[in-house]
Amino acid sequence: MAFLSVENISKTFPGVRALDNVSVDFDKGSVHALMGENGAGKSTLGKIIAGVYTPDKGTIKIEDREVKPTDPRIAQQLGIALVHQELAFCPNMTVAENLLLGGFPTNSGFMDWSKLREKSRALLHEIGADIDVDTPLAQLTTGQEQMVQIAGAVGVNARIMIFDEPTSSLSTNESEHLFELMARLKQRGVAMLYVSHRMDEIFRICDTITVLRDGKHVATEPIAQTNRDRLIRQMVGREVLMTRPKHLDLQPGEEILRVESLSSTGKFENVSFNVCRGEIVGMGGLVGAGRTEVATAIFGLDNRATGKVYIKGKEMRLGNVNESMRRRIALLPEDRRRAGLVLGMSILDNTSLAHIDYFSAGGFVDRKRELTEVEKLTKRLRVKAPSLETITAGLSGGNQQKVALAKWMVRTCDLLIVDEPTRGVDVGAKAEIYELLDEVACQGVAILMISSELPELLNLSRRVVVLREGFVTGELPHEKFSQEAVLHLMA
Amino acid sequence: MNLSFSKFPEGGLIVVIIALGLLLAIFGGSVRLPKLQTNPDGKRERVFETNAAGQKVPAFESVNKFFNARTIVQIAKDTSFFAIMAVGMTVVIITGGIDLSIGSMYALASVCGALVLSPYGPSGGGGATVLGVAVTVGVGALLGLLNGAMITAFKVHPFIITLGTMAIYRGIAFVQTSGQSIGGFPDGFRQFVRWELLPDLSLVPLIVMIIVTVVGGIFLAQSAIGRKIYAVGGNEIASRYSGIRVGRIKLLAYTLTGLTAGIASVLSLGYYGAGSSGDGQGYELNVIAASVVGGASLVGGKGTALGALLGAVILQMISNGLVILNIPQNYSQIVIGMVVIAAVLLDQFNAALARRRLLVKTSSIKKEVVKSGDTPVSLKPKTT
Repeated sequence: MAFLSVENISKTFPGVRALDNVSVDFDKGSVHALMGENGAGKSTLGKIIAGVYTPDKGTIKIEDREVKPTDPRIAQQLGIALVHQELAFCPNMTVAENLLLGGFPTNSGFMDWSKLREKSRALLHEIGADIDVDTPLAQLTTGQEQMVQIAGAVGVNARIMIFDEPTSSLSTNESEHLFELMARLKQRGVAMLYVSHRMDEIFRICDTITVLRDGKHVATEPIAQTNRDRLIRQMVGREVLMTRPKHLDLQPGEEILRVESLSSTGKFENVSFNVCRGEIVGMGGLVGAGRTEVATAIFGLDNRATGKVYIKGKEMRLGNVNESMRRRIALLPEDRRRAGLVLGMSILDNTSLAHIDYFSAGGFVDRKRELTEVEKLTKRLRVKAPSLETITAGLSGGNQQKVALAKWMVRTCDLLIVDEPTRGVDVGAKAEIYELLDEVACQGVAILMISSELPELLNLSRRVVVLREGFVTGELPHEKFSQEAVLHLMA
Repeated sequence: MNLSFSKFPEGGLIVVIIALGLLLAIFGGSVRLPKLQTNPDGKRERVFETNAAGQKVPAFESVNKFFNARTIVQIAKDTSFFAIMAVGMTVVIITGGIDLSIGSMYALASVCGALVLSPYGPSGGGGATVLGVAVTVGVGALLGLLNGAMITAFKVHPFIITLGTMAIYRGIAFVQTSGQSIGGFPDGFRQFVRWELLPDLSLVPLIVMIIVTVVGGIFLAQSAIGRKIYAVGGNEIASRYSGIRVGRIKLLAYTLTGLTAGIASVLSLGYYGAGSSGDGQGYELNVIAASVVGGASLVGGKGTALGALLGAVILQMISNGLVILNIPQNYSQIVIGMVVIAAVLLDQFNAALARRRLLVKTSSIKKEVVKSGDTPVSLKPKTT
């Protein structure tokens, strides 16, 4: 009998079905990997078990008794702890204060400092972490911070621990430390869920692997019965998303973008590549490899970038968005809610945002012209909304992304940079966006596409440039594309 | 009704104003005012009548305490100073900022204008008036520009910068005048501002208020810069990613707020005939309150010029209304404080309703998409 089992869990977010009838069993004293592409639903499953999200339907059972972790506190009382990427601490307070944030030891209303230190030291000792409890949290490294988080989680006597991409922000050394700790927790009989993209880690530390795809359960297998290739097939294994893009059959034109030894301290070093008219160049790499940073630097949003960027053979001044826009560069940012849209404004206002001056005459916006042009665009992109006055906050991910894209199609650009163009977008809109990018490329725009989804990257691009930890590790032409080759360069 | 409110958000404020007016007209009762008439020389004099005993006594007339031309114009005039500045304040609030120094800008602009006008004395001509007005308005704009420059250059929260300049500007005004009130302006200037359509119907502040609101409203809603102001307040990062020069927009917003303080100063100089460093003490709270009651959100991205005007009208009506209702003036601050909080709560409630309506709408769109099978043929649409 499984220690923890989830049965028929479903969860829908606006516009996306994140989990669809998923059932998995988890054992005591084992590490169970949850794998899948971005948007497959693995983090959502972890967060549902940890009480961050409530499932639309389905049950969670611990030792065959149904539990309802409706919020993280209740989950904690049930012995479920989540170690996640967004470390939730008060950086202004000390390690000790953070560890016991939920219940300070007091003495007739006053802080009992010695007890606080003593208790927090015990918590850290428990997991073998050597951190001074009086250090302000802001002074810790990310790895140390994570140790504190784990100490707090184990301290409440966790029986189930969920690690959501714990190593994405850790150095190799810190990762090793984490793995040792996980081995110790395993001996203590803790059931662990491990969400990660990194194959090497999974095969080193996990006992069982569950693969999710588009919110559906694909397979649960012991580690011994599977291998890398099989996993990748399971993760990707959907029907081919689209036919061969048309731009691949056309000859690329003149060079539009040439980047020469572009660097930005702490972000990326010595990055060089080029993109020609009419081709889509993919940019691959793991989270944190510096892809987004390269894109924002080319778009003029990085004041400290050095190196040379040429647009149509002419060098461009770096660090000035307006200069980049004058050179007809457009950027669809990675995080559309933060940087792509003004969520409180309408579809119309968002679409014309970057080109208000283009729509204006004598300082006043020509609403009629704006309306006709934006309407044409939203029709072409098939944005689904009651009207152009609809506030973008309420649109589905796919429609939001289309609006964010439409913004840069008001006037044709020479270089379109798209950063994770289909993140958080449902399958239907995804295919539409692919077709659109192909169409735009065929019309002679140079496209640089950043993506974490390998099938997308390989299907759509003429070439792929791969980054790892801020360096270009290689460039593959379309003939040499394979998931393995790219993964090899990425990790 | 909901639909019309979402198309015309100030509708609710107008309803409140009408309700307040009715309330005051009905419960204010009537008051006996001395009857006046204009004699052939254009002078106003009291009317006398003969009573039953044959004595000549002053005549009185009974009018509704609220609903008479004099009271209403009085409220409108009192409103105008705040409303003009509230329009400027709204611009800053839309960008997600705040300007606490508005009362001090008003005082310093007033004092500078007074120092220019005063030496010309009552006989000063039109040139002096133009110069004085230009200096007052210019100083206001300059002080706002300084606020904006510091906020964008130092990247410090506007609350802090304007808290500082609130003290600094008033301090400069005090040093300039040694705390003395400065008067003795050209008569022409004063007569112009105090010009009356009918006796006791002084309309210039009112007209200026309407002009500022209309110009401000068109600027915010129709101009390219106005749209950028809303964008910056709605999402500064997305605005920067769209090539909007966020710093310049903020600079402009604070300058405009200063400008409106300068315009209000001109009216006060002309109307009251003096300027002093103590002018406009505590105005920042009234002005911010008017903007907020008028629908501006301190989170940014929301607010209108007309809303600011109506917000100022509501606050002034309440403040004058308490007098009309014979409630001691001392209570007015308490009531106004409560109104500000109530207005924001009402706004949140309204926003929550709007969100819910939106959710219903979008879920129906999704269904429609699946039905029409609009997705490309190469894909099976996801069943939801």
